[in-house]
Amino acid sequence: MQQYILRRMFLNLIVIFFVATMVFGALRIDSDHVVRNRAQACTLDTYEGCVKAAREELGLDRSLPVQFGDYMWKLVRLDLGDSFFNKAPVLDQIKDRAGPSIELGLLQIIVAMVVALPVGIISAIRQDSWIDYILRIFAIALLGIPVFVLAVFTILATARYAGDIGLGFLNDWLGPHITWVDFFDNPVENLKRMTGPALLGGLGTGAIIMRFLRSQMLEVLRQDYVRTAWAKGLRERVVVFRHALKNALIPVLTVVGLLLGGIVSGNVILETLYNIPGIGFYATASIVQGDYPVVQGIVLSVAVTLVFVNLLIDVAYAWLDPRIRYG
Amino acid sequence: MYLEEQVPTAVAAPELEWALPRHPGALETALRFIRRKPLGAFGFLIVFFMIAMTIGTPKAEFGVPSLPSRPLGFELGQPWMARYEVERQFKDPVSGRLVQFEAPSWKHWLGVDKAGRDTWARIVYGARRSLFVGLWALALATAVGTTIGVVSGFFRGWFDTAMQRLMDALQSFPPLITLILIISINPLTSGPSLTVAAFALGFVGITSVQRIVRGVVLSTREQPYVEAARVVGATDLRTMVYHILPNITAAIIVVFSIGLGAVILAEAALGFIVPQFVPQDPSWGLMLNEGRAVMLDHPWLAVFSGSAIALAVLGFNLAGDALRDVLDPRLRLG
Repeated sequence: MQQYILRRMFLNLIVIFFVATMVFGALRIDSDHVVRNRAQACTLDTYEGCVKAAREELGLDRSLPVQFGDYMWKLVRLDLGDSFFNKAPVLDQIKDRAGPSIELGLLQIIVAMVVALPVGIISAIRQDSWIDYILRIFAIALLGIPVFVLAVFTILATARYAGDIGLGFLNDWLGPHITWVDFFDNPVENLKRMTGPALLGGLGTGAIIMRFLRSQMLEVLRQDYVRTAWAKGLRERVVVFRHALKNALIPVLTVVGLLLGGIVSGNVILETLYNIPGIGFYATASIVQGDYPVVQGIVLSVAVTLVFVNLLIDVAYAWLDPRIRYG
Repeated sequence: MYLEEQVPTAVAAPELEWALPRHPGALETALRFIRRKPLGAFGFLIVFFMIAMTIGTPKAEFGVPSLPSRPLGFELGQPWMARYEVERQFKDPVSGRLVQFEAPSWKHWLGVDKAGRDTWARIVYGARRSLFVGLWALALATAVGTTIGVVSGFFRGWFDTAMQRLMDALQSFPPLITLILIISINPLTSGPSLTVAAFALGFVGITSVQRIVRGVVLSTREQPYVEAARVVGATDLRTMVYHILPNITAAIIVVFSIGLGAVILAEAALGFIVPQFVPQDPSWGLMLNEGRAVMLDHPWLAVFSGSAIALAVLGFNLAGDALRDVLDPRLRLG
């Protein structure tokens, strides 16, 4: 097991090196437009002088290997560089914005599990009944409707129509707010801003998990030990929860890990729509501005998080299911 | 059952033909599909409708394919379903002022946008962009992904390990951020371009295509016929092209059809989230972005463009799922 973890750690480091190289290379393909943007604001006499000054200021005048070496050396010391625009260290800025994003992601996973668990179980133990069909059609529809369309429709419904039928408070809970309140300052106000995006993102993820859980449950329910449990005369509740669900849930863990990348992507849109100062919103803004160090830092930190969370899940997997042995 | 009937007549081979199971005709197959997979049939209905939306009279302008007006090498004219020209701005006949944000009526089925243009015409035109960008992107993703998947799964060894780590690296980028990143760096063309967008979408899709293909190849390469090919002395390339590739076609078709929905969704998301990086001709994502800005006063544009995106994605998902169940149920995941 220790050997397995060590090997995975080593492979993860290779993956992270690939990520760092790719994001560095991608941003250097066409760095001219950033330099041009920067040069427009300067006060020197000639345009060429401006461009040259801007290049030097951004450190883009050095040769690529030098830039790359510098970047990698800083990376080893966990220094992600400074932003091109406000000159603040990137790592600090990411730390400031990680809180809302992590909170949103966790809330979404909680919503997804709260929805997926009962729905997946009911759908599996009542397979091919009318309730199974209704739940599955509901899940397919949720999978088909993109999260940003769902968000726009929700905001429209709450802001424009909910007040007319006496549900005006919904707008307060599901609509976007202009200002941001941190969770530790005022939890209630913070949750008001989070419910909308957490529900919308969580439902979509929940639909995927529900479909997976259903097929896992169906498989486990056909196993011999479940038949034995029935034959012993155990109550349905005990068979379903203690014998079947426990075993069906383990593979679901992996799916949650694989979905994390999608959750971050979905949150890029949700954070923009709901004015949440998180990583996704910051990433889009930085790409649009051409703020290279910030983009590099965000992509890298998201990749590192995803890679290690997935390792953690795989380790937990072996711990939860003693049948699994990594060699 | 027919075995016992054929015993007395089992002399001449041609007479036995009646005893073989009848090959069902196309119509019969279609009807059976509708009966067994009603949701899938509904999905195909949406897909066919969307394809019908893109049809227009070809103009006599041939040239280098560009997206989406020259998807096949010749320029496509006005889509026949559109009713009005896409860029036509409607004016009030009495006052002569632009008709803005009109609600749906018989004249304008889905209303009119800010610049006085017919929403239905723009939705029809936008279907062309969604579909062709999706097709080009997925063609790229499938071609590259299949090659990587087959080679990686067939050879195993160090090449497989290195390739899979590289793919892991690509996959640990959040897809939407990668997309925005690629279309924002745009060295080949001066402005936003659909070709770059299609390339970016295809690039992001490579990882998932190759993962699925590799999985199928891993089981295919253990089949007796692959071993037989090797015994006969076929080269690796020949084994891959003539023995493995034909046997994973079903998987490739399924991956292609399921991927289309995801690519169309991503293209719309791009137009919605970074409208300045995509070309400004009619697109559902851009329309949803425009509609969102004014939706509290004029909800129709947001409602219709959003519904168009949702219906299209839903249709492709349903059709793809049904196709997978019919062609290759092994690929099912949840």
